[in-house]
Order: sequence, then structure tokens, then C-alpha cells
Amino acid sequence: MKKSLRLGGIVVTATLATMSLASCGFGGGNASGGSGGSGTTVNLLVPSYSDNTQALWEGVISDFEVANSDITVNLEVQSWDNLTDVITTKVQGNAAPDIMNGGPFAGFAADDLLYPIDEVVSADTLADFQSSFVENASVDGVQFGAPLLASARALFVNEDLLAQAGVTAVPTTWSELLDAATKISAIGGGVAGYGLPLGSEEAQAESAVWFYGAGGGFGDASAITIDTPENLEAAKFIQTMVDAGATQADAGATDRSPLMDVFVQGKIGMIIGLPPTVGQIAEGNAALNYSVNPIPTVDGKAFTLGVADHLMAFKNDGSKQEAITKFLDFFYAADQYVPWVTAENFLPTTQSGSDAMGDTPALAPFIEALPGAQFYPSTNPNWSATDAAFKSLIGQLAQGKDAQTVLTEIQAKSDEG
Amino acid sequence: MTQTIHEPPTQTGTATGRPRSGPARQRAAAGTRLSDLISALPWIGPALVLIFGVVLFPAVVMFYNSTRDISLSGLDKGPVGFANYATLLEFTPLGGIMLRTLIWVVAVVALTVLISLVLAQFLNKSFPGRQIVRLAVIIPWAASVVMTTLVVYYGLEGYIGIINKFLVDIQLIDGPYGWTKNPVSAFSWSIGIAVFVSLPFTTYTILAGLQSVPGDILEAAKMDGAGRIRTYFGIVLPQLRGALSVAVLINIINVFNSLPILKIMTGSIPGYDADTVMTMIFKYIQNEHKIDVASALSVVAFLIVIVIVAIYVKVVKPMKEV
Amino acid sequence: MTALLTSAPRAARKPRYTADQVPLSTVIWRMVAGAVVLLIFVIPYLIMFFGSVKTKSEIRSVEPTYFPTEWHWENYLTMWFTPETPLVQNLISTIVISVFATLLVLLVALPAAYYTARARFPGRLVFMFLVIVTQMLQPAVLTSGLFRQFGFLGISDTWLAMILINAAFNLSFAVWIMHSFFAGIPKEVDEAAQLDGAGRLTVLFKINLPLVWPGIVTAIVFTFVACWNEFAASLVILSTAGNQPMAVALTKFVGQYETSWHYVFGVSIVAIVPVVVLFMLIEKRLIGGLTAGSVK
Repeated sequence: MKKSLRLGGIVVTATLATMSLASCGFGGGNASGGSGGSGTTVNLLVPSYSDNTQALWEGVISDFEVANSDITVNLEVQSWDNLTDVITTKVQGNAAPDIMNGGPFAGFAADDLLYPIDEVVSADTLADFQSSFVENASVDGVQFGAPLLASARALFVNEDLLAQAGVTAVPTTWSELLDAATKISAIGGGVAGYGLPLGSEEAQAESAVWFYGAGGGFGDASAITIDTPENLEAAKFIQTMVDAGATQADAGATDRSPLMDVFVQGKIGMIIGLPPTVGQIAEGNAALNYSVNPIPTVDGKAFTLGVADHLMAFKNDGSKQEAITKFLDFFYAADQYVPWVTAENFLPTTQSGSDAMGDTPALAPFIEALPGAQFYPSTNPNWSATDAAFKSLIGQLAQGKDAQTVLTEIQAKSDEG
Repeated sequence: MTQTIHEPPTQTGTATGRPRSGPARQRAAAGTRLSDLISALPWIGPALVLIFGVVLFPAVVMFYNSTRDISLSGLDKGPVGFANYATLLEFTPLGGIMLRTLIWVVAVVALTVLISLVLAQFLNKSFPGRQIVRLAVIIPWAASVVMTTLVVYYGLEGYIGIINKFLVDIQLIDGPYGWTKNPVSAFSWSIGIAVFVSLPFTTYTILAGLQSVPGDILEAAKMDGAGRIRTYFGIVLPQLRGALSVAVLINIINVFNSLPILKIMTGSIPGYDADTVMTMIFKYIQNEHKIDVASALSVVAFLIVIVIVAIYVKVVKPMKEV
Repeated sequence: MTALLTSAPRAARKPRYTADQVPLSTVIWRMVAGAVVLLIFVIPYLIMFFGSVKTKSEIRSVEPTYFPTEWHWENYLTMWFTPETPLVQNLISTIVISVFATLLVLLVALPAAYYTARARFPGRLVFMFLVIVTQMLQPAVLTSGLFRQFGFLGISDTWLAMILINAAFNLSFAVWIMHSFFAGIPKEVDEAAQLDGAGRLTVLFKINLPLVWPGIVTAIVFTFVACWNEFAASLVILSTAGNQPMAVALTKFVGQYETSWHYVFGVSIVAIVPVVVLFMLIEKRLIGGLTAGSVK
């Protein structure tokens, strides 16, 4: 951490920089990674889930370093917004972190940057992952992601607004949803029946809720299918909801997080939420009279959207496999993992974690729904483009653009890759 | 560093000692010899080393990346020639994006300069409290653009926005409006913010320029009975030319390259109806993970701004000596 | 807000304006206009300030409040000790990087600006154009090259790297700004001094510098502010939380599902203050001093 601040030094360095660059062009050396002294340094890059993320990881790391004095773990926390930027830059610069916490990993796997997960965790840890997540963490049968935490979606209902609008039962089908939402919107005073966040933040999630709910979906690992009759039905129904005034204003450009704040404060009748929503309500407005229910679908058949984030291990020069393994095994042991995942308000992905947390009442509806969850086809090579297309295009539905055109556009963007 | 400053005066003195030969100096032979360049090096050399030492490599990487196929994770998969540029050409909304970029730069720079001229003139007059007003004008400059934009963005939010509430309270609008959720209003507000954050620098450059207007000339003009408007356009404005033309140049480049304002203000709008070249580059990087296409668009943007600046320098001649 | 309206004119009651010999009505008109300008420029930051002393939930309330219902001044204490980011170190980092980058810019740009304005040499225009061309590159795309370069030099994640980057990216504007001011001084001034036997350095420091102070100040403030708020390069170059400047630290308060806006606003206010203070010091001594009575 000692900084050379002498101006003379700076100028000399600048000169050196020019000279060394002129001679080496695109050599692109390996940035200072590990091997500082005798021990190994493991670089850990994680996104920020909540206020606590940095502190939680620091706790895990200090425990780990006490148990393994020859390994140092360097923690870097970034916001989700900046994570992609940082990781692509590091990969381009041949300085990938050793372990990263992220969402989709198919791109890294395709580029042969990752260790298959069985090479960096013990057999016990590997066997502890719940089988429903393993498939989603694998590309062509090889598991590259270590499932870190999971979320499922459910319909959060403001019971007071529902009663005030004279709706007696929580809707389970679309037509009931439309009816209930329209009635709640009619209360007035800035109250909206259904919170529909089609803005770029997480447009693909809200879209998935509707598309899968119509019996359609996004496709699978081999083919992305957006432009289908079922999805078209869903898209048209979204427009029906908007036209009927059953949603908040400007649904096409409303982001999820701020809209959730509005629900927490009791101004929205129904909205799709996640496990952390429970914590947000407890913190922001504990008095809210709400319930957590299955997501309404076209025919009332229950479904939930599951999302799992992963830890992945980068090969780099291949020298840190042992240290990475030690860290991952240490972390996934129930005594470290369960407090971590509980504090972040997510669902565990390990069997031992699930057993330990099974009796948490607030999360029960989610843990119940999880085994039947549908996941994004995130191992499909075109998923990234599809995801981007949803973020930038699906909101046009709420602006009155023809539903078929929107689906065609998204499908085209997706096929383009 | 110290060596360059302690360059013996004689050396530089001889190179430019010509002034002593009287007013007929310069022009013809001056400043064309190699020795003139060599004696200039101690003065401009450090700047060249610093700038190009840092900037050259990343710039080359940008050009290089624009001709490569780069994977989602950032890995170089080999050369593709101009395929990334072809991708751009096939992207139909690009025409609208270019047009909006032009509107963005012209509107922001023009408004900034006009308002700054008035503001600087005003701040140059003495009145009690002027110090404080001058300090207030500096604040948008001191604050990061991101923060200023965020405050406005949240002020305009439909549910929690104070600006929206205020507009409703003074009955200018009936209910909260989704300013940042519709392309035209979001883009217009963005222009407003961009002008707002560009004002301090431009105003202060002009204000500093106003100090160099010799008081006695103004006095003389007054004596001659020249009106205020004639004095302003005849004497003050020409004197401001140097400072102003550089301020405009810097504004053009900064506004063209400005990302945060539009990114925040128009970020949640679906489609490409509020995008400029810069937000499009950002979308390629952030949403689509296409570093290669983003680099290609950056190269295009770079060429465009170079042409604009070249034309500007040619026409306005900000380097013309007074 | 009304308090501000009245306090502004009262604060700086100096005898200067009486020397202007303008009618009282003009002075009043100017004061009113001044108050309006003041308000326009201050309002967004007042919103920011009021936000910073609200609670986390009040700031996101669907019944927005103009003023905090309770003033939570402790936000300004607690923000230094949050789990998200070591803000004290971030502040030190920002100061070190900005100060040294600005000094470096000044040291390198001043001679270049002076010489290009005063002497003729082949490639002078090319130099000026090349320098500004470096500014036209889009920072978001340059970061990956910068990261590789400084990784290769082994000074990734150091203040030195950011000092160099900030200096390099602000140098050209500084050169151009100062150049335009040097160019504005009549050459005769130099020539007279040189006839008296003064060397170029003496002319620069003794004769020219005092005349172009406003320009230098503009360049200093421009550079300092740009370094102070730099984000794109710091994000990828500085990976250790303690090395990162405030602009990057701010993003740590943005979680996946919720954001601590009161801290974001509070930190922003704290980040504004040093720049305004710096400006206050410089403005009073330089622009303000020179202005007195020169132009009406």
C-alpha cells in the first residue's frame, strides 16, 4: 500500500510507460495476481446484494484466513450495475478473479475460462447441492457453477387494498387478476391494482412470469423460442392489463426496485416479489398487511420463476486450484453458508442449508415452490442477447406497440446472438 | 521535470530572440526551422510524454478491438475485418441515434454558451451578495454529474418525486407525470441538466475573459458615446473570442462524450427512441456484452467528433492570436 | 428557502457597490436577479441535502416531503462507518489523487500552453490538435486498454496509476484553456521585458503569469473537479475498496434490491464541500481581486 507520490517518480514512470509500450505492443502481461511471498492469494469478486454484503464476506474471509494461514483472500465488491464492466475488463486483461459470484456463466464456460466445479470442490460439497440447481449450473452435462443462492417469485398481495376493493379471494388466473386489479385501481388516490415493471432493470423477469404463465416460455439450452402463440397471448394480455388501467402508469419504463418501494408503502395491490421483499417490508413498513401467494397463470396452474446465482472458479494460470477448493469447501459448510444466505434473505441451494432453514416461516412459500421452478435458459449461448433484447424492447408493449412486432423483434435480436 | 524548467534561458532565448529585430520579425521565416522544434521540445515534451504514454495504448486497443470478434466474456476470438462495422450499418435505429446525437450536442452547447454569456455579464456587475451568487453558480461543477442527474431523476419520479409533487402543488400539472419514462420529455430534461452542469465552467471562462477587457478602452468607448450594445458587440465580445472559442470546443467534446446524464434519465425507456451514440455504446457494452461492436461504434463516434472539431477549428480558429 | 432569499444579499455588504455610482434601483434589481440565479443553482443540492438528513424510508416515501420530518444529522456521522465502504479512506484517496494529478497537470501544461502561445515552431498546430484529439476518445471503451497497460506496468490498483490517468486525460483541456489566455496578452508586453534582458522563464513567471491568473485558475478548477469526480477508470483500475475514490464508493450504497439514498446524498454533499471551499479560496484571491473595479 505504499504509494510513491514523488512527482519526479511520476514523470519517470510516465516516460517508462511510453518506452515499454512502444517495445511490447500487445504483449498484455499478467497483472499482479498472487505469489506475493510464500502464501497464495485468492481474488474474490462479488456483487453487492444488500448493505451487508461486504461485511458478510469479510466475516467469512477472516474465519477462513484464521483456519488457513497460508492463503490470503482479496475481496472486491462491486454493484450489480458495474459487475459486468469490471469482469469483462479483467478477462480482457488476462487478470480474471479466481472466484466470482455472478449470474450467467455460459459465456465464460464456452471460452474455457472456468474450472469444472468438481475440480474445485470436494465430493461432499458437490453432493450437497440440490439436484434441481445442478442441471441449471451445467453446460452439456459439465457443471461449471456452484449454486450460491436461489430466489423464487411469488405474488405479493396487499390484503387491505384487496378487501377495500371488495375482492374476496386472491386471484389465481389471469382473468381474476385483471378483475381484481381493475377494482383496486378504481379506489383512486394513486393506488394501482397490479405493479407491472417492464422497465429495463429486470424486464426479463416480469416477462418470464407472463410468458411461462401462458404455457409458453423462453425455450431451452438448445433453442430460444420467444415468438410463439402462447407468448403472443401473454403479450396481448399484458396490453389488456395496461389498457384497462389495471397497472401503474408508464409500465413500459417502470423499473422494479422503485416500484417495489411503492408496494411496500401500500400503494399497489399486487406485485411479483422475491424472498428479499419479505425483509424489505419488515424494514420499510412492518405494518403492511400482506400475503404471499402463487403466481396467477392463464389457467390457474401454479408455476414459479426460479433464479440461481453461482460461484464460478476461473482457471487463470492454473496455480490456485488447491486454494480455491479450500475456500469453497470452507464456505459451503453449513456453519458458514447458512448464516450468510439467511442474512442476504435468499434461499439456500444446498441440502444441508435447506434442512437448516426449512422452518423459517417467512420463506416457506418460496422454499415450497422452488422444486417446480422454471429457470431462464441461461446456458443457451444466445441467452445473453435474449436477456438484453427483453430489457430494451419488451416495455414497448405497454406503450401500445403491436404485440406481434415486439415479439418478432426480440426473437430476431436473440437469433442474432 | 526540474531539468526542463531550468533549461538555460539562453537556448530558448536565441530561438525566439528574433523579436529584437523589430516589428518586421516573424511571418516569413519564423517558426519553420527544425531548430525551432528542438527548442520547443523542453516546453511541450513533458505534455506529449504524459498524454501519449497513457492514452496511446488504450486508443490502439480500441481500434484493434473494433476489428476483432470478442466473446461475451471478453475473450478475443480472432479477426473479423469490418464485420462489426457492418453490424452497425444493419442496425436500423442508427439513423435516429445519429440525428439525436447532433441535436444533443448543438442544443446543449448553444444554450450553454448563450446563457453563460448573459450570466457572466451579470456576475461581472457589482452588487451586494455577488460573492455568494458566484459561489452558488460553481456548485453544479463541483458536484459530480451523476449525482446532479440522480437528484433530478428522483425528483421527477412519479411516486416519490419532489419536483413532480411541486409541479402538482403549484397546479402546473394535474397529477404526477412520467417525465423520465417518455422519450421526448426525458431527452428534453437531459438537455436541461447538461446545460445546467456545463454552465459553471463556461460562465467562469467567460468571466475570467471579461477581466482581460481593458477598462480604459471601455472608458474611451463610453466617452465616444458608444451605446452599451455597441460596446458589447464591438469591444467586449471580440476580446472574449479566445476564451470563448476554447470553452465552446471543450464543451462540444465533453457534451458529445457525455454518458451519465442520458444513461440515467433515459435508461429505463424501452426501444432506442431516446438514445445517442454514447448511450448506444453503453448499451452494447452493458446489456449486450458486445465489446467489439461497441469499439466499432466508438471509432465511428471518434471520427465524427474529429471531423466536427476539425471544422470548428478551421472556421472559428480558436488558436488565432489576438 | 425564504431565509436564503433574504440572507444572500445581507451577507456580503461591502462598500464596493457604492463606488459604482449606479442608482439604487439598479442595485436592487441586480440583487433580486442574483437571488433568482442563486436559487436555481442551489435547489437541486438543497433537495440532495434535505434527502441526506432524512431516514432511509422517508426518502423513498410515496408521499414525498420537501423537508425532513425529523432531522437525522447522525447520518453524517454514521456514513463514515458503514459496512459498505471505508469512506474515510475513500476521501483520503480522492484528495491524494486529485491534488497530485492537478499539480502534475499544472506542471506539465503550463510550459506547453505558454510556449505554444508565444513561440512559433513547426508542428505547433499539429501539437495542439493532437493533444485535443486524445480527449475525443470515449472513456468507457478506453478502460479495458488502460487496465491492461497498468497491469503490465505493475501499478494497477495504486494511486499512482490514477494520478497518471487523471493527469493525462485532463492535460489537453488545461493546455488549451491556458493557451487561450496566454495568447490574449499582447506580445509587446513580452518584448518590452525581453528588451530589458529578461529570459523566457523570467518573462513567464514575472510578467505573464500574473496576467493570466484567471485562466490558470479556470484550468486548475477544471482539472481538479474532473479528477475529483472521475469514475470510469477508477472503477476498473482500483480494486481495493480503500484505494477507491468517493465517486466509486458511492456506488457501493446501491444494492441489488435497495439503495441507501440518504448515504448516497450525504456522501455527495460531503464530496461537494471541499471543491467549493477550494474554489472559495481561489476565487476570492484571484478573480475577485482582479475584478474589483476593472469592468462595470
